[in-house]
Amino acid sequence: MIRRGFQAVIRLGHHRVLPGAPHILPRLNRTSAFGSSTDSLVSRFCLEKTDLKDYALPNASWCPDMLNLYQEFLEKTKTDGWIKLPSFKSNRDHIQGLKLPFGLAATSDKSDWRIFTRCLQVEGQGYEYVIFFHPSKKKSICLFQPGPYLEGAPGFAHGGSLAAMMDETFSKTAYLAGEGLFTLSLNIRFKNLIPVGSLAVLNVDVEKIEDQKLYMSCIAQSRDQQRVYAKSSGVFLQLQLEEELSQ
Amino acid sequence: MLRSCVSRLRMLAVLGGPPGVAPLPAKDPWSPRVNPGAGRRERAAKPGCVSGDPRSFSSEVIHMDLSLPNPSWSEDMRLLFDQFMKKSEDGSWKHLPSYKSKFTQRTEDIKIYFPDAKLMKEKLSQAQLFPRSFEEGLGFEYAMFHNCVEDRTVCIFQGGPYLQGVPGFLHGGAIATMIDATLGMCAIVAIGFAMTASLNISFKRPIPLGSVVVINSQVDKVEGRKLFLSCNIRSVDEKTVYSEATSLFVKLDPKTRLT
Repeated sequence: MIRRGFQAVIRLGHHRVLPGAPHILPRLNRTSAFGSSTDSLVSRFCLEKTDLKDYALPNASWCPDMLNLYQEFLEKTKTDGWIKLPSFKSNRDHIQGLKLPFGLAATSDKSDWRIFTRCLQVEGQGYEYVIFFHPSKKKSICLFQPGPYLEGAPGFAHGGSLAAMMDETFSKTAYLAGEGLFTLSLNIRFKNLIPVGSLAVLNVDVEKIEDQKLYMSCIAQSRDQQRVYAKSSGVFLQLQLEEELSQ
Repeated sequence: MLRSCVSRLRMLAVLGGPPGVAPLPAKDPWSPRVNPGAGRRERAAKPGCVSGDPRSFSSEVIHMDLSLPNPSWSEDMRLLFDQFMKKSEDGSWKHLPSYKSKFTQRTEDIKIYFPDAKLMKEKLSQAQLFPRSFEEGLGFEYAMFHNCVEDRTVCIFQGGPYLQGVPGFLHGGAIATMIDATLGMCAIVAIGFAMTASLNISFKRPIPLGSVVVINSQVDKVEGRKLFLSCNIRSVDEKTVYSEATSLFVKLDPKTRLT
């Protein structure tokens, strides 16, 4: 069921994608459902040559667990097809040269905007995280260490901060796996509290892509998988970004 | 039920200092944050106070209610706030205070459910309640009101530039955080100390960054220690529905430890 709020946009999106062609439902083929392959999305997203600061890199606040697992996955980027995603201050930096489709683009473009999960930039204070993505398996792993400014119950991370981290990991996975852009729904079951300053590992999988929607699941647990912190599922709307006409 | 509701609200307010305490001067958001908790503690320390003793911790911190208008609030936000304050005059609505740390609000309950909290007093000086961790106007600007008669909680919320998701719009996670905070407050007023068990959010329309929205939450059902709540997020004129959510909160059993 497509929500009315997004229906007009989807119709517009179809018009932009296939001018003059008959209305075609998105194919189930994950790599080319919407015109851009995962590989081209990844290379545009990752911006190898850039002056922008990448926040998804180790710093002094990272706990030993996080550093070790980070090194493990860094090795896997060389051998097993994993990619470490950069994390810039604003989502605008990730989609340079692209813009939201007609009707959704923001009228003013303030430079002081910051992506929510990079809102607190003093090392170790807020979200410390790095996301690794596997293009062919359509999976992501997020190493997340919540800082003291994310506190809810004393000594533990706020439920909202984990919800945000899950939404953010879903968001990057959905975008690279199939141009997913907006969250349609989020369903989170909290099991255990995450102590502030400890590592939570979020495993995200794309379950299916259907009706212009990406369905994903996530499980957040401790490194040894002995403690499950939360399980969630998310649905994202596919929406193709457009090239900016003038630079 | 009305009496217990009022007494719980009084307990929330009892630790509150006088409203209108001047906020700290706004700092350059790019410079590293000076530890604000420690600074305030020093300023407020009374002679004879033993620092570090968790029992006296709450009396050392200036209780600045952050649910009050500040320069970053837009006109829409101020108007709504004034409307609700007017409704509070006859007692049917009550403005809920909000502080930087949960510790100042629920000291007694926290000691029961988190007996190890005293071991983390070093971290406490850095810890901040997540939605209150931002400089004025940059993150979550919000105020909550509770209607004792109809037993529902309303939150007026203005999302700042540091809550961005898709450029120009609020991050889904920021919306989820506010829903969790509003439902949590609704749950606390209803049955005391409760924690989120599950959250189910349906996003209908993206919320533009900087706009003001109203979160209406209510208790749907109580089954023993389980509390079922729901809420919706609407525009100020109530014509646009941005999101809807349902959730399950669980009242904590003092006999079971959480860790």
